[in-house]
Amino acid sequence: MSGPQSGAAQKPAAIRFALGLNLQQYVVYFGFLAIFLFFAITLGDNGFLSVRNLSNIVLQTAPATILAIGLVFVLTAGEIDLSFGSIVAMSALAAAVVMNEYGMTAGILAGMATGIVAGALNGAVVAFVRLPSFLVTLATMGLFAGIARSMTNLRSIPVLDLDFAGFFGSGSFLGIPSLIWWTVMAVAIGHFIYRETRFGAHVMATGDNPRAASVSGIKVARIRLYVLTLSGGLAGLAGLLYAGRLQAAKYTLGESDLMTVIAAVIVGGTLLHGGKGTIIGALIGSLMMGMLNNGLILMGLSVSDQMIVRGLIILAAVAVSLREKAR
Amino acid sequence: MSSQKPVLSLKDIQKHFGAVTAIENFSLDIHPGEIVALVGDNGAGKSTLIKIISGVYAPSSGTITIEDETVSMASAEIARSHGIEVVYQDLALADQQSVYMNMFLGREITNRFGLLDRKTMIAETQKLVDELDVRIPSPHATIRDLSGGQRQGVAIARATRWAKKVILLDEPTAALGVAETAKVEEIVESLKARNIGVLIISHSLDQVFRLADRICVLRRGQQIGIRETAKTDKNEIIGMITGLQQQDAA
Amino acid sequence: MLIKGLLKTGLIAGIMMTSALAHAQTVGPNGETATPSAEITLSDAEFASLKEKGLKAALLWHTSSDFINAVSAGATDEFAKAGVSIAVTTDAGFDAARQRSDIETALTAEPDVILALPLDPVTSAAAFREAVANDTKLVFLSNLPSDYKHGSDYAAIVTDDLFQMGKQAADALAKDIGEKGKVGWIFHDATYYVTNQRDNAFKTTIEKDYPGIEIVAEQGITDPARAEELASAMLLQHPDLDGIYVTWAEPADGVLAALRASGNKHTKIVTLDLSEPVALDMVRGGNVTAIVADKAYELGRAMAATGLKALLGEETPAFIVAPALTVEKANVLDGWKESLNREAPESVIKTLN
Repeated sequence: MSGPQSGAAQKPAAIRFALGLNLQQYVVYFGFLAIFLFFAITLGDNGFLSVRNLSNIVLQTAPATILAIGLVFVLTAGEIDLSFGSIVAMSALAAAVVMNEYGMTAGILAGMATGIVAGALNGAVVAFVRLPSFLVTLATMGLFAGIARSMTNLRSIPVLDLDFAGFFGSGSFLGIPSLIWWTVMAVAIGHFIYRETRFGAHVMATGDNPRAASVSGIKVARIRLYVLTLSGGLAGLAGLLYAGRLQAAKYTLGESDLMTVIAAVIVGGTLLHGGKGTIIGALIGSLMMGMLNNGLILMGLSVSDQMIVRGLIILAAVAVSLREKAR
Repeated sequence: MSSQKPVLSLKDIQKHFGAVTAIENFSLDIHPGEIVALVGDNGAGKSTLIKIISGVYAPSSGTITIEDETVSMASAEIARSHGIEVVYQDLALADQQSVYMNMFLGREITNRFGLLDRKTMIAETQKLVDELDVRIPSPHATIRDLSGGQRQGVAIARATRWAKKVILLDEPTAALGVAETAKVEEIVESLKARNIGVLIISHSLDQVFRLADRICVLRRGQQIGIRETAKTDKNEIIGMITGLQQQDAA
Repeated sequence: MLIKGLLKTGLIAGIMMTSALAHAQTVGPNGETATPSAEITLSDAEFASLKEKGLKAALLWHTSSDFINAVSAGATDEFAKAGVSIAVTTDAGFDAARQRSDIETALTAEPDVILALPLDPVTSAAAFREAVANDTKLVFLSNLPSDYKHGSDYAAIVTDDLFQMGKQAADALAKDIGEKGKVGWIFHDATYYVTNQRDNAFKTTIEKDYPGIEIVAEQGITDPARAEELASAMLLQHPDLDGIYVTWAEPADGVLAALRASGNKHTKIVTLDLSEPVALDMVRGGNVTAIVADKAYELGRAMAATGLKALLGEETPAFIVAPALTVEKANVLDGWKESLNREAPESVIKTLN
């Protein structure tokens, strides 16, 4: 008796389901495409479409994209990380200082370790002391920023190792800039872990319904520790990319990324309250932010006008993508 | 039925919280393919009992035996590993996830590379919902898009997928309409054929009389008695619940 | 607010002055002598010769502020005379990485000249390299990227005459109190180039040029919000102070509050940077005797003029300073116009009339 009946019930629902999913996921792509076309038409003569400019957009957004990947995991698990910008600065400075003293490998390890340890600290307090991540990372945002400032007494540290600068910043491999390689690798691995592993599934379940996850045998505290550690580690990587790109490290690095990255992730289709997200969407969201910055500057707008237009577009994009989801 | 060995046997279970006694001397056998209802007023100790059987609370004294093996249910995981599944009152489903991911929540199937084997999980889900006649649009459907009855169906199907011995149902139809209740009851009935023992908590005596083979009554932590459904009536059960009828001699 | 007050002139770490101990003038990063901005002018013929070319400029700032608006206005007006359009304007929000992106994006628009404030010498060194490689003319405000060479890498640095600002504050206060008496010195207690140079220039000038004036109280300040209590304490210990120097306008508000609270009409105040409440006290005949400001509009004009000269292939001086401006009650309306290229605030105008 189940066959024909459930089959009949299945069809329209399946269509509805397919449409719903698609609309929701395509919002960011439509937005991206619309903005791209707008700039392509209005700024075609101003070099917007040149390969160099388009590649610049990807290069410029590489650190934000990598931070966004971490944030997708964190938000999906029902947590938030406000401290990653400060971790970027600490990691970049640690890498630069250690590298100038002990060489490139030691510098890379120092940068990554700083990020991972800082993230693990966030995670441990959230998971085991059971404080809300919003408050924990609000506090550590200031704490880490203070540490970054005191590390070198506000001085900027030059990165003297040109191999490092090439590997993480201005170099290229097989004719493709290294920052694009980093972006592609991070997105591919992040997407894969998010979608194809039990860890990814457990992150979603934890953010969706922690009690359900817990009674189903998922160690939710451990998941919270892991996602915040991951976010710290990726902030460490972003710090290395900044240091490579600027051939210098400074305590202000990453400071202004918080809002851009959150906007990129939300516009990309990750739920603010957990349970569902997308790494590819976050990539598109991040590129969209970069493209907006780039295009609005090239339009010759004044700085205030750039901010107004960017704010309005982000507002519209977030409104559309959230409404679509609240359906 | 009683000729078979019980799949779950509780003997002299007691539970104290400090000076408060929540459960006093509770004993019950559940046989394969049998549905036993647990009834009693609010605060009678039903939920405590469910938590003891599912490993959330450890009993203060008494033994739990599963097919001749005395076990200590130190955690929910151990209870699950012994083949006991619970369908919670609030469902414990992850709303944003698909039916099939919920079916395998925390126990996802992976392939030899350690990656999620979606194909197998989807196929198994489809097979199970067909067998139990849980009418959902597709294993891909998101829980959030389903009705209350469909969700309860998924929750029971999940328990069925994993329960080798016993399913505990905590108020499975409390939030459902008439038609959906009937559908869920149908699904619960069908569990009998799978030789699984079912312990159901329900406030609806009508439902209890429709579904259960035996009825166990609790009042203020005390086990008032167990009746075979065929040999009792509502008046007697109500009397036991309200205290008009005294406890059976132990 | 601290940032707004301080960083308006940018992070001038790259520019060295001769030590404040040795009484001297502002000199460039490699000891270049300062060329007054007034000397950087183009003839009508020079403007005309550029007009046909349809040149483009980019303004790459570190932040948005009153000061930057005035600099931009000065530059835009000067560029307009040579038919140069402003293709791109950016604000890096003090973010070194953002500045790097801004430069790349700006280069897409292929500007012929860039006016920019490099955030700091170290982080901006790699960032501006691409512009150098593109042969875009670079005119920097206040800061110089590390190891950049005048002529081949950049056209000039233009900056405030920081030493003059401190010195003119000292001169104005000395004049008002008759070159004798006791004064207090409220300085910015942090390692910060702009304020340190200005504060020390005040102190040095008083010590060297005005033997009749003695600095009897010194008080460091980091948080402008605490200015009132610090000033109250200073006045309690030295009730007979003839004047107080305050490192910038925002803490001067607090010092004024302390003076008003104690009914003190005797002690004179000088401070730096134009601000509405301080100017209002001055025009009302209160304690404020003078405000020393920089000429932001002139700074912008000089930057643009330097860029134009570089485009003409002319030699440009490496280091150019825009003069400081002492604003008193008598010249407050003109002073505002000259410094920030806009009318003085309405409250100030009303009080004057």
